[in-house]
Amino acid sequence: MLRITLTLLVVAVTFVLAFGPFVQAQQPAAPPTWKQGQPASMADSTLAPIAQPPAPKAPGEIPVDRIKVPAGFKVSLWAHGINNAREMVWGEKGTLFVSSRVAGNVYAVLDRGDSREVKVIAKGLNLPNGVAFRNGTLYIAEISRISKMVGVEDKLDNPPAMETVYDTLPKDLPHGWKHLAFGPDGKLYFNIGAPCNICLPPDTHANLSRVNPDGTGFEYVAHGVRNSVGFDWHPVTKRLYFTTHGRDWLGDDLPSDRFDVLTAKDQHFGFPFCHQGDILDPEFGKGKSCNDYVKPLLKTGPHVAGNGVEFYTGSMFPADYKNRALLAQRGSWNRSKKSGFRVMMVTIDSKGGVAKYEPFAEGWLQGEEIWGRPVYTRQMPDGSLLISDDYAGAIYRVAYQR
Amino acid sequence: MAAGAPARAADLEAGRQKSEPCKACHGADGNASVPGTPSLAGQPIYFTHWQLIKFRDGRRKDPQMTPFAASLTDADMADLAAFYAAQHPTPRPAGTDPAKAAAGRELAQQHHCVSCHRPGLVGHEQIPRLAGQDLTYLVKLLRGFKAQTAGDLDGTMTTAAQPLSEADIDNLAHYMATLPPVPAR
Repeated sequence: MLRITLTLLVVAVTFVLAFGPFVQAQQPAAPPTWKQGQPASMADSTLAPIAQPPAPKAPGEIPVDRIKVPAGFKVSLWAHGINNAREMVWGEKGTLFVSSRVAGNVYAVLDRGDSREVKVIAKGLNLPNGVAFRNGTLYIAEISRISKMVGVEDKLDNPPAMETVYDTLPKDLPHGWKHLAFGPDGKLYFNIGAPCNICLPPDTHANLSRVNPDGTGFEYVAHGVRNSVGFDWHPVTKRLYFTTHGRDWLGDDLPSDRFDVLTAKDQHFGFPFCHQGDILDPEFGKGKSCNDYVKPLLKTGPHVAGNGVEFYTGSMFPADYKNRALLAQRGSWNRSKKSGFRVMMVTIDSKGGVAKYEPFAEGWLQGEEIWGRPVYTRQMPDGSLLISDDYAGAIYRVAYQR
Repeated sequence: MAAGAPARAADLEAGRQKSEPCKACHGADGNASVPGTPSLAGQPIYFTHWQLIKFRDGRRKDPQMTPFAASLTDADMADLAAFYAAQHPTPRPAGTDPAKAAAGRELAQQHHCVSCHRPGLVGHEQIPRLAGQDLTYLVKLLRGFKAQTAGDLDGTMTTAAQPLSEADIDNLAHYMATLPPVPAR
């Protein structure tokens, strides 16, 4: 036995010596981002990201009645025909601006009473996921550029040119699309995601950042954040709460996605060393300790793909809904049994802890079949809640009827 | 632009009629014979539809396709994509070099082409079939991805093309062009 082992060893060493340079020259290139970090044991997995349809669904193909909400709430199809509808932000004159990601469009949606009119105000953009609005100006975040349209709400049929606000940003496309929002300090906040599933990212990536609306004062706010495309500030404490998509290919149940709170600037949330606050990465966690990084406020579930975060501040819903966080979870691909595809609700107690984590709207997933993917929410002025669905290209409205 | 207009089921016969202006380059049944022009027969519906959106919106540029796509409605694109997906692909005649194809086969492994394009490079959903595609077109497009001018949906191909040398591109294209053009499932 020993002799066989030694013989094999000699053969192996000879092979490496003889073919070493050749083998090195044949080093495989990096796989596509979604495939990175897949262990050999999962090489036969058929799991792959869910394809984005090129066209929105017709109203007759959108089974709104399958969306389940708590008693007393009612869901309706508010707008449709908005290809790849993602983030929503209100203008000051009643226009809802809606972003997209791979469709490359920004839309203006106008409420015409019984129906909604949809206008494309920008197209051909580079994954323009982020939209924010202030003082008559719409801000749009693409991969490496934040730009603005001044006075756009008065010129929806002939939109003003996009002026660059800030474009000194990484050009990496993987996890390069951005959530964009104004913080309580009047600064524009956005994410710069890790350019990979799992890697040791450059210092310029895997963070939350901010810049003044005039393009000055860029700085990092949080580190070790793999890919956060949703955050909001607590209405009372003004603290920043954010969701993060966890890495893939650690199995169906690991790691959990996260919901976090930033309590001090420049905190580190663990990526790529520690996942979900208590699991070291099999490759990058060596020699690290999870205790050196901020733990999640809440583990939101494996692969749920938490996107939108919004604290409810309206007066339509029952009083105890006030200041609860609504988390839109676009849903999993890297899991043999699908998870997510729902809007969850987090009740935060007076000490800042999580008192309750429960479904608010679900039903886009029927068995293992999906017909839609809820991705962001936005309150209406009357306190009802809009939910965008980038898969069906639709926006739903959830209202409470006393 | 027809955003907001109700979508409706794609219509194969309408797609055939709307493909009249496409015939000169792409062939009556989506099997092109002009070098540098891709065959669309048997390509996935999502793929063709997304490419037309990209041409219309200026994210993918081509002297022939850009003006043609400018006037297409969402319904036109859905009908055209459905029509071409229903056509049977035939091999493109190409002077492929067996040595280059063999080198390309190795490169396709190293660069994980099957991860997205699937075994046999037959494509699915938004991802095109490469098997049996036109050699000149494959070279042109891979160069475009490397130069970051081809405009893919989410950056996957732009990223994948960065490490490719000109010789790699040539070898990969020779390999892809020799594969049987099985329709995407």
